[in-house]
Order: sequence, then structure tokens, then C-alpha cells
Amino acid sequence: MAIDGLIILDPTGRPIIQSSYTTYPAAYPLLHIEALNNALAKAPREGSVDPVIYVGELSCSSACCHVEVGGMRFLATISGDVDPLIAFAFLDAFTEILQDYFGVVSVATLKDNFDIVYQLLEETLDSSGHPLTTSPNLLSDIVLSPSLISKLLASVSATPGVPSVRQGGSFGSNGASGAFTSPIPWRKAGVRHNHNEILFDVVEEMRGIVGKNGTTLASNVFGKIESNSKLSGTPDLTLTFTNPNVMADCAFHPCVRLQKWTRDNALSFVPPEGRFILADYQYRPPQSAVVSNVPIPLSLKANMDMGEFGGTFALTLTSRLIKVMENLELKFYLGEDATSAQCTLSSAGSSVGSVGSADGSWSFNSRTKTLQWEILNMRSSGSWILRGSWTSKIKAPRPAHAFQIRFEIPSYSFSSLKVDQLRLSSETYKMYKGVRMRSKGSIEWRW
Amino acid sequence: MSTQQGQDAKFFQRGKIEEFRAELQAAEAKDKKFQKRKTVLKKIVANITMGNDMSPLFHDVIQCIGTPLLEIKKMVYLFLVSYGRSKPDQIHLVIPSFLQDCNDRNPLIRALAIRTMSYIPIPVVTEALTDQLRHCLKDRDPYVRKTAAICVAKVYTADPRKAERKGFVELLRDMLIDENATVVSNAVAALSEIGDRQDGVIFKLNLTIANKLLSALGESSEWGQIYILDSLLRYVPEQHADAEMMAERVIVQLQHANSAVVLTTIKVLLYLMNYMGDRRLIDYICRKMGPPLVTLLSSGPEVQYVALRNILLIIQRRPTVLKNDVKAFFCKYNDPIYVKLAKLEIMYRLAREENAREVLAELEEYASEVDVDFVRKAVRSIGRLAIKVEPAADKCIESLLKLIETKVTYVVQEAVIVTKDIFRRYPGKYEGIIPKICENLDALDEPEAKAAMVWILGQFADKIDNAEELLDDLVYSFLDEPAEVQLAHLTAVVKLFIYKSQSEVTKALVHKVLKWATEDIDNPDLRDRGFMYWRMLAMNPAVAAEIVLAEKPAITTDSDRMDRGALDQLLLHTGTLGSIYHKNPETFIRNAAGRALIDSPALNANSRAVLVSLARPQLPPMAISVSGPGPVEPTRPSQPSEATNSVPLPTIMESSRSDERDLLDVEGDDGAGGDSGEGYPEGDDDGPVTKAADPYASLGGAFGGYVTDVPQPVAGGSRGGDLDDLLL
Repeated sequence: MAIDGLIILDPTGRPIIQSSYTTYPAAYPLLHIEALNNALAKAPREGSVDPVIYVGELSCSSACCHVEVGGMRFLATISGDVDPLIAFAFLDAFTEILQDYFGVVSVATLKDNFDIVYQLLEETLDSSGHPLTTSPNLLSDIVLSPSLISKLLASVSATPGVPSVRQGGSFGSNGASGAFTSPIPWRKAGVRHNHNEILFDVVEEMRGIVGKNGTTLASNVFGKIESNSKLSGTPDLTLTFTNPNVMADCAFHPCVRLQKWTRDNALSFVPPEGRFILADYQYRPPQSAVVSNVPIPLSLKANMDMGEFGGTFALTLTSRLIKVMENLELKFYLGEDATSAQCTLSSAGSSVGSVGSADGSWSFNSRTKTLQWEILNMRSSGSWILRGSWTSKIKAPRPAHAFQIRFEIPSYSFSSLKVDQLRLSSETYKMYKGVRMRSKGSIEWRW
Repeated sequence: MSTQQGQDAKFFQRGKIEEFRAELQAAEAKDKKFQKRKTVLKKIVANITMGNDMSPLFHDVIQCIGTPLLEIKKMVYLFLVSYGRSKPDQIHLVIPSFLQDCNDRNPLIRALAIRTMSYIPIPVVTEALTDQLRHCLKDRDPYVRKTAAICVAKVYTADPRKAERKGFVELLRDMLIDENATVVSNAVAALSEIGDRQDGVIFKLNLTIANKLLSALGESSEWGQIYILDSLLRYVPEQHADAEMMAERVIVQLQHANSAVVLTTIKVLLYLMNYMGDRRLIDYICRKMGPPLVTLLSSGPEVQYVALRNILLIIQRRPTVLKNDVKAFFCKYNDPIYVKLAKLEIMYRLAREENAREVLAELEEYASEVDVDFVRKAVRSIGRLAIKVEPAADKCIESLLKLIETKVTYVVQEAVIVTKDIFRRYPGKYEGIIPKICENLDALDEPEAKAAMVWILGQFADKIDNAEELLDDLVYSFLDEPAEVQLAHLTAVVKLFIYKSQSEVTKALVHKVLKWATEDIDNPDLRDRGFMYWRMLAMNPAVAAEIVLAEKPAITTDSDRMDRGALDQLLLHTGTLGSIYHKNPETFIRNAAGRALIDSPALNANSRAVLVSLARPQLPPMAISVSGPGPVEPTRPSQPSEATNSVPLPTIMESSRSDERDLLDVEGDDGAGGDSGEGYPEGDDDGPVTKAADPYASLGGAFGGYVTDVPQPVAGGSRGGDLDDLLL
């Protein structure tokens, strides 16, 4: 039930930092690093390496779970009968902690702060590999963040009398493990703010596949309620919705009282400090008892003509939404042997009809062999057209049979989820609350 | 004064031991606020993390241990963690400091001290730790207690019998009812670690404690929840009602944001379902498990991969889970290849008459993609779909023919391979397409495809006008072919001869091949078969015809589902490495403790019938009866007593299983060590399971031979695809 250790590799595959593999032979971590590097080198394409690599050499049979973070590889080695998901969940949590501490996770920030990274490793993963505390709220009490250290040092030098938590000659036992005496594992006790506020961002993402004939094969909307809480004391919140039944298959932050949700469809919780994800859900369209697809807010007409050594195409995009879609981006992989592409843009309908950057732009990336079409603002009426041709080195080119479309819709939600009210009990202060909606989509459109 | 950002990077250079030593010595004289020492120690730790050997500085670094600055103390301790074990002769110098820190006012330091000591498995340190640990386990600060709990597992690893004698296991057990949830979950983690050892005490839960742990669940961290949930597998329900009540309490955890918590919850539910009697509840739980599994698919590709491998196992045992969700597994063009392949397998598993059309349309789409591996799998899946879902067979064949027309060699080859199986599944139905296939003879260059083609030519030689010509063409390279193609050739020409014994071409052909096989080939299989055919044809051609053209059993892909007993057992490892590789962990992980369902009055009859009992290494070999692969005959509820008798009860159950007060069976803790009859051989855990006692020896076929691509003959009665069969 445990992770052996964690290793961070730089983009060239050399270790930057690793946890202390005290109970393992020295070759053990090296063996895993080598196995991963070999697998990566052998991979025909990026992202085609199995995320769990079995290492059976020597007498230790174990596995190496790896993810890419900011160009680096984070790898967790597991032996014994361990859930690789624990490894991945831990890697995720650890990356989040690093982001919390350093803002950006990169080779430079890790090398600059290796002592903090090392302390964090010690604190989050004990040597028998049990993940311990990964809640940033609690860690901040045990391992000081770089900004806090410099602040503390500054204050110490300015006013030597200031009682510091862990600085100076005497160790105050007061705050040291305040985090662990807190009755709530995700929130430290005694938080104070002058200005109390909590903000919610509801972000919904549509993922869909549209078939050749234009019918929607699958489309799902996954929602997330992201929160940023700056509240004093132990605020007990109850969040209710006017239409909670649009949320299905919810997953909640540990702070949410699950029984209460099951009973009253209300989110009752004491939030952690700072940013956290309160809930994930899937949008269930109200009218359907059975599985049904959420309508896709745009349509694409593709006229493709494949020829020898290339082909021509005409793509027409139309919005089906009243809201404006932003940052629409369509990607089309032209095949390994594509050499160039030429396009013209136009638009039709009620829009001005001018061809310019305001209406979109296209580019061909000769490294990824991908044609990209961008429309910054796509209004509700009219259509956008991209005509063009591409050339290929081989006689029968094999482009992708699907377009990848991404878009964003500000101040919109597919589910029309609406917050009814947010009540605060157990504390008396007034707080500022805010809710924002945002949607995005990624659609695979086949032709 | 303040730490300079960006400066630390330069510490990452090859360490100079002497320089560090000099700097440390210089710092002793004059060091305002210990900044100098801090800087040097930082450099030293940087070098350790890079893998440079800093152990020569041992003596110099431990001088700093008394420095009243937590940051410095932490770094000295880091140093000790790295090199303490390699300095058994000098470690005693640090012990006084250790002891002092164990009693420091600051709980962080107390915890740090025992944690560091537990990392140094040297007798003097362990000795000192043993005394301190006892106090720390009862420390008033929960941070210290939770750290101490984990340390017990370390002490136990160092010397199991001694830790038992000192009563640490009981101390740990008492922590299960600690008021702090983090302490509880760490105690559970430590006990699990001990219980997973082959020489450890057995860690079992009774109903009371299991319920206590469940109530700590809500306040635990996500990791703590995982430990607690996983430990529930150590609870054996005695009554249906117990299992059902527990499942109802656990099921809310399916709504957790952490994917590992979700999967562990599913593992517990799958386990508890074996002990339930209420069909409606089981069905309800199955329906509840589907959506969270689908939600896992919205995570990153790594999590998706692990989830998909597990889903594949789960739906084989519980086909109602995700029954209507095949769409969730449609592959996207940009999915990584390992995700695509895993999804494809699941799509095939979920295919039924109702969704066959959708699935086929998707498979056709995939067959036009670029990635060769994926395209091959897709083509093969079309054929398997034809075999699995009879009403969809026509459409699948059509689609295969279209694919053959593309003339893309690897597509054609895969199509030929699956077509052979389709002919066997539906005898006499699709032979009309043979001419189309024969047009592509030249495209075949892979052994499997060639062998399939040759098989088709031989089997249907009477329906193919120019079969002898075609075979004659192919046989041209006989001597250079791999054995599987040669064997196919041999049989094919014999069949041809039986069909068309009048033709001169045929006679010459069969003579040529038999001669090659018996005279020019070194492979004994081939030679023997050659001789056998030769004699049969020479002595009694009529009997030869009967034998060679005997009716073949129809095939199905349904039996490529894993054996039920093996599945039950693998599902206890849901989410773990075993479920990724679809193997039982103890077959490929050293020292892994096996898991098996444990019999109890509540265990449902079907699960009991396929129960795999688990041997501990010290037990004498015992007879294990495991039903072979193939369908599990539904047993009537009135028969369980018979079924029980045929399977030896796992010996673990011999110990007081219903003793309400005893939640741990600490065997051999009476000071007798491992000498008592019930104990375990001491210090000998290198040879985990002897061959004779290996309970999986008879399961070889269930795991190793798990090749889903190969359809197999229908065994015994028909399975009938009744989903309810697997409900109980």
C-alpha cells in the first residue's frame, strides 16, 4: 500500500531531486530512471509510452509511474501490490503543492528551492512510502514557503522581539503543530482576515465526438466548481442551487458533507483556505431519462477532396449559440508527409465579410504537420469559411479523419446551473460572495 | 540576510568535501544566527540529492545537531537519513541528541527525531527508539502519535518477533480508536503493512472495529481514507446484512474527488458484494459504480489508463456495470495509443446486439486511422464482434470485405486472420466471400495471416475451383516458412487431396509436401504429423477423410472471459499492479501477500464454488480444487453445503474469527516466537511460496493463457449471456 519514492528528472532524463531510497539498494532508483529513459527513447511518438512501466530486472519487480510536468518527468516507483492510481494521485497532489509554493514548476524553480522541495518530499511521503499530508493548508505550517521565509527573516531583523514561529533560539510549541490539532484535517485553526470573501467559478467543459454524417456520437459536459476562500475562523457554509438536479455523478472535495448532499441536495462544508475544487459533476440534461447527448453549439461542414500528393478542402463553421464564442481553434493533422498548406479565409452572412485578423487567421505548423485555424470572436450569426489545399510528399496522403475543435464561451454554462444562496453559520461576520460561469469545449469532428 | 533566490542553483556543482569541512569549522568560531552553517549544510544536502557521496563529512555534520535552529536540525537529520546506516561505528555519537530531541517541547522535533531514528536500522538506534516510541505512541500531540504509528511498522520490519514481544502491535491496535482520524488512518496503514508481510501477524477486523474505522473515514485525509477503505478487505462479513450495511456506508465515497479513493471504494464494494444476498441491492450498487468510473475517464491519460484496465476486469465479473455506457469508451483521434487500445478492448466487451451497430461504425472509423497497431486491433475487433454478436455478423463481414478492398497490406492480413474464425463460428454461411479473399494472396507476408489463408484454402478446397493451383503457388516457399505456416500447409494439402483425389496436380502436391515434411524438415512435430498423414492416406483414405475433415466444434469468444474464481481473486486487487497486468501480484511481485475471498456463512454460493484458498508458506501442501476455465454453472441456493465440502476452508479462518473483543490475531506473540506450531519460520522469507504449495499452479491457464484475441471452442453447456448469472 505504499509508494517507494519519487524522482524528478530534467528534460534530458537526468535526476534533479529524488526522495531518499533508504531501504533500497543504491541501484534501485537508477534502475527505474534507466527503464523510463529507455522507454521514452524507444517511443515512436511523444505520449505513446505506457504510463506504468514494469521493471522486472534484478530481483525487485516493481513499476514506475510517470507523468510529465513542465517539461520534466515526475516518476513514482512502486513495488508490491500498490494502486498505481495512488502514485498518480500523489504525483498530482505533489505537483499542486509545488505550484502553490513556487508559482511555476520548472527546472529553474526546483533547483533554486531544492531544500524546500526536499523538505516537502519528506513531509508528504514518509520513507515507507505512505503519502502523508498533502493539503497545502497544513503544509504551509510545517514547511515555510520561500516568500514566507524571506518575510520572516526580514521581520526578525527589523524587530528582534517579534515572536516568530520557528525562527530564533526557542522553538515555540504553540503553532508548530497547530495544523494537526485542528479538528478539521483540511483547514488550519485560527485563520483571520480583515476582508472576508469567497468566490466560486463554475467551469463546464464539453467533450464530444461528431460522426461523419454530422450526428453527435457522444457529448458530455463535465463541470467543476472552483473556489477561492478567504474566510476567518471556522466558517460553516451551505450552498444551495435552484436546479441541483442538473448535476449528476458528483465528486466532492473532502470538506463536503456527503450525507447532507444525498439528503437535501445542498452543499454543506467548512472550506479550506485559498484555492480548491469544491465539486466535479457531469451535466445531466433534464428531459432525458436515458443517456442522451448535449447539443453541440456549433456546426462544421467539410468538403474534402483528396488528390495525389495533397488535397483541397473547404470548411464552413457556423455558431448555433446566441452568445459569442471566443478563441475558437480548429486543428487538422495533415499526415506525416505533409509539406505545406495554402488557405484563404472568408465569412458570410450578416457579418461584415472582411477578411482580416479580427475574423480569424490560419497557420501551418511544419513540425507538427498541423493546420490551425483560429477565430477570436465568433458571433452568433453568419458563418466562417476556410478554403485551401495542402501538399504531401506521398501519392496517397493520410491526413487525420477528424478535426479537433476547441472554443470558450464566457459567462455561459451548458447546464444553466444556478446558485440559489450561500449561507454562513457559526461565524457572525459579513462576507463577500461571488459566482462566475465559464464554459469551454473540445470537439472531435470527423469527416 | 535574506535567502537569495537564484543563488541556490550554484550549489549544484560537484561537492568539495574539504572545502565544506573547512567552512563548517570556520562557522563554529563565529556564526551570527547560524547563517554560515545553514549555507554550508544546504550545499551539502544539495550534493546528497544529486547523488554525490558526502559521508566523509559525517563527523563534521553531526556537530551541528545541537544547533537551536529547526532548519539546521532538519538538514542534519536529512544527512543522517542518508548516511546513518553506513556508519554503525559512529552512530552512537548521535544517540544522546536523538534522545534529547525525543523529549523536546516542540512536537515537530519529537516527531522528526523518532522518524529519523526509524530510518536507521542499526541495533543501538533501534534499541534507543524502542523505548522512546512507547512514549510517543501515547504523546499528547497527534502529529507525534501519527508519526510514531508509522515508525512501529519500521521497527517491526527490523525485527518482527522482537516488536511483537515488546507489545507494539497491541499499542498500534489501541490506536485504531484514537480520537484523531489521521492517527487512526496511520495506525491502519502501519498494521496493513505489517499484515501484508508474509511473516507478519494477521491483521483482521471484526464488525465493531470496522464500524469504528468507517466513522473515522469522514474526517480523514484522502490518503487516510484509502488506508481505511483498503483495510475493510480484512473484514469478513458473517451475515448478508453486515455486508449490506457496510456497503451502504461506503458507497458515498464514490463521490470523492480523489481518483484513488474512488477506485479503492469500488474495490471494497466489489468485495462486499460477494457476501450479499439481496439481488436488488447488488444491482443498485452495480449501477452506482458505473458513473464514477466514467468520470475517471475525464482525468489525465495516466489515470484513464489505470481506470480502463480496471474497468476491463470489473465488467467481466459484473457485466451490468457500464452496460449502457459504451459511448464513453469511443476513442478520440488524439488519445494516446495505450488509452486507445484499452478502450477498444472494453468496447468489444460491452458490445451487444443493441449497440453493435454503433460499435461497428466506430471500429470502421478506427480501421482508417494511421497508427498501425491500432488499426490492426480495430480490424481484429470487427471480426470478434461478428463472432460475438450473431445479428451483427452480416454487417461485420461487409465491413471486412470493404477493408480488404483497401489493399493496405496489414489491414488485409488482419482481415484474413479473423475471417478464418468467422468461418468456424458460422459454418456454411459466409463461404461465398472466399473468392474475394483469394484475390489478395500476394499481400500476405505474415505467418499468422498466411497460416489462416492456407487453412481456408484447405478447409474449403471443394468450394474453390482452383484451390490446388493456389496452394501450389503458396507451397513454393514451404521450406522457408515458419513452423506454424508449414503445419497449416501440411494439413491443407491433405484436405485438398481428400476432396480432389482424382486430380494429378493434387497428387503431386501432396506427395511433394509430405516428402518435404518427412525428409527435409528438422522440426519433430512437423515430421511426425507428416508421417501420420502419410500412413493414414496410404492405409485407409476413408478413415483419413473422417479424421481430417471431422466436424469442428463451433467457437465463441465468450469463453475468453476470465475464469470466475480467478476474477473474484483479482478483483480483490482492484486498482493495484495486479489489475493492470491482469496477473495475481504474488506471481510477479516478490513478497507480495496473496489475497483470496474468505469463506463465511454470508459468502454467496457461486463465489464459494470457485473459491481459491490461499496458502501461507508454512502450511503443508493441500489439495486445491479449482473449477477450470469456462462457464460457471449456476448453483442452486440449496446446494451450498455440498460446495463447501469440496473446497478446503482457508486456514486463516481457523483462528477465532467471531471473537468480538479480539480484533487482531497476534499469533506467536506469547513469547514463543516462531517456534510454536502456529508460528512462522523465522528469518526465512526469501523463498515465499514453495512450488508444491503454490495455490495458483492450477490457475496457470486462467492468467497466463489469457489471450483475448483467440476465440476458443465452446466448452460444455452454453453460457447464454445471461447477465444475472454473475450477479450472485
